[in-house]
Amino acid sequence: MAARVLRRHPGRTLLTVLGLAIGVGAFIAMVSFAEGARRSVVRQFETLGTNLLRVRPGSRARAEGVRPAMPLSDADVRLLRREATTLALVVPVARRTLAVTTEAGRVHRTRVDGTEPDYARIAGLRFAAGGMFDATDLGTSNRVCVLGVTVARALFGERDPLGERVRIGPALPARVVGVVAAQGRTTTGSDLDDFVLVPRTTFALFLGATEGYSSLEVRPRSAALFEAARHELTTLLRRSHGLGPAEPDDFTLWSPEDTIRAAEETSRILGALLAAIAAISLLVGGIGIMNIQLVSVSERTHEIGIRAAIGGSPAQILRQFLAEALLLALVGATAGVLLGVGSSWIVAHAMQWPPSVSWRVVALSAGFGTVVGVLFGYVPARRAARLDPIVALRRE
Amino acid sequence: MREPAPRSYRAPSTALVPAVELRGLVKTYDEGELSVPVLRGIDLCIEPGEFVSLRGPSGSGKSTLLNILGCLDRPTAGRYVLGGTDVSALTREEQAWVRLHHIGFVFQSFHLLPDATAAENVVLPLFYAGVRRAERERRARELLERVGLAHRFDHVPSRLSGGERQRVAIARALACRPRLLLADEPTGALDSRTGASILELLLDLHRRERLTIVLVTHDPGVAEAASRRIFMRDGRIEDDARA
Ligand SMILES: Nc1ncnc2c1ncn2[C@@H]1O[C@H](COP(=O)(O)OP(=O)(O)OP(=O)(O)O)[C@@H](O)[C@H]1O
Ligand SMILES: [Mg+2]
Repeated sequence: MAARVLRRHPGRTLLTVLGLAIGVGAFIAMVSFAEGARRSVVRQFETLGTNLLRVRPGSRARAEGVRPAMPLSDADVRLLRREATTLALVVPVARRTLAVTTEAGRVHRTRVDGTEPDYARIAGLRFAAGGMFDATDLGTSNRVCVLGVTVARALFGERDPLGERVRIGPALPARVVGVVAAQGRTTTGSDLDDFVLVPRTTFALFLGATEGYSSLEVRPRSAALFEAARHELTTLLRRSHGLGPAEPDDFTLWSPEDTIRAAEETSRILGALLAAIAAISLLVGGIGIMNIQLVSVSERTHEIGIRAAIGGSPAQILRQFLAEALLLALVGATAGVLLGVGSSWIVAHAMQWPPSVSWRVVALSAGFGTVVGVLFGYVPARRAARLDPIVALRRE
Repeated sequence: MREPAPRSYRAPSTALVPAVELRGLVKTYDEGELSVPVLRGIDLCIEPGEFVSLRGPSGSGKSTLLNILGCLDRPTAGRYVLGGTDVSALTREEQAWVRLHHIGFVFQSFHLLPDATAAENVVLPLFYAGVRRAERERRARELLERVGLAHRFDHVPSRLSGGERQRVAIARALACRPRLLLADEPTGALDSRTGASILELLLDLHRRERLTIVLVTHDPGVAEAASRRIFMRDGRIEDDARA
């Protein structure tokens, strides 16, 4: 019976349902977007996991009287390698942005890192062609380099770059010994394949105008030792830099964990915010149902009078109008679930995020939408039930 | 979904008590400061199986009295005993139950649901009484047959004539097998020939099924058909005559 009443005004019913559907759909979509963004960040850094610590020069604190950052030096690296018990690998990286030129004259500006063979292990590099330069290259400052695929494509197109010669900066001619397989982009869109690697010694000889290293890449002995490694690294570097107990660190530690945690925090706040906005639109949907049911009650006063006069009890009339509100709410919630899951899926697909519609969120928002619809349907239903049958009958 | 009888209501026990018993019934409407008396002390006993006509000038309180008899309204003072049970001060929930099970109502303007078919209109009380769909269907046929409208089963009211609509309304009033039928100017909206046939139907129900009927009318001819004729004026019973 409820269904027939709603079918009598299809346009009105559709609009009511749409209001709630958008609320439910928005709720699902918003929460799923936030979750999708979080998972994509986590996925990106999870591969590095608890196996990496990165030291950068410079303090996080920008307080008055902090002396200028001490560069990360060979002395630091030597001290860490000699004394640390929790660190498996310490790999320095010196960095400059330089133009790289082929013999044919093609030019590409990119990030050039001077480092050691272990960098490939610590960064988990996989090679599309050739391999990493080796200890001999490092020991004898050989003029060799490894290219990221973006650089390889920019300079050589589809040609095989292995064995080709390039000029890095003004002064370093080098032979290509490896091309690193594609790593894609970060969540924020920067290209992970736009780089050139050369031995640290070669870098120092031909490109060396940097003061110290731009970072030290450090691998703890095991995941279990991660916190201990973080602590030992800090202690040793402070000693190496001669910092007093009151002085803040003049270097900064970073790990993928930090980024994952930050991303999770951000997405939690973002998710809560979006959910709150969506919840408001859900409420608006509920108010829509209330409005339509109020109109319906006043339009159908005569009908209600008839039902009451022939013996329909107030409780039964209340139930009838609640049933209509429930039906509206259920149809709206169902449409909202389709809308929300659909748009989440499309966005996840377009952004290449992992699928992240959680059935708990779907159940929650559908349930919430239904409850809102029925709660707001209660006011008109009660009004219908309280109508005086004599007065109601007189209304045409 | 069958509604149980409200606890305070005792079903009528024997057929020996009067169908309707009114003692000092008063109804006043409050119009702000003013209170307007509409029924000024009605004493009335109607035995089971009586056919009572109620006549009187416009505004004399006939409809008001009928609404109270039908448990659609409550008296301001006085007692109303229906089938041995005092129903003067029932809750709305209880009033609805009494209306559903013991009283059939027929109105001048039919009051049918415009979107429901004749059959659906007829069995609406059965729906509220919690009767199952299959049984409702069966009863709809039976009731429409009783009022001579078996062939209009699936018609909506707008496709029925006035007389046919009133027959559907009468069938609906009979759905829960009430013992008391109240009719407020049932022929008032019909031409005299159709009105006569509706009156004939009511008389037939009265004769064959011993239904107690109270009928409000302005038509002296219609009133003549009743076995007992009451005349009201200014909220009082002026004349009460048995044939
Ligand atoms: N809800 C109300 N509030 C105030 N006064 C009312 C109300 N209902 C009825 N009345 C008054 O009560 C009086 C009796 O009304 P009632 O409808 O019972 O008359 P009636 O005898 O049925 O008249 P008619 O033959 O015209 O139908 C009228 O004067 C009417 O104005
Ligand atoms: Mg009247």
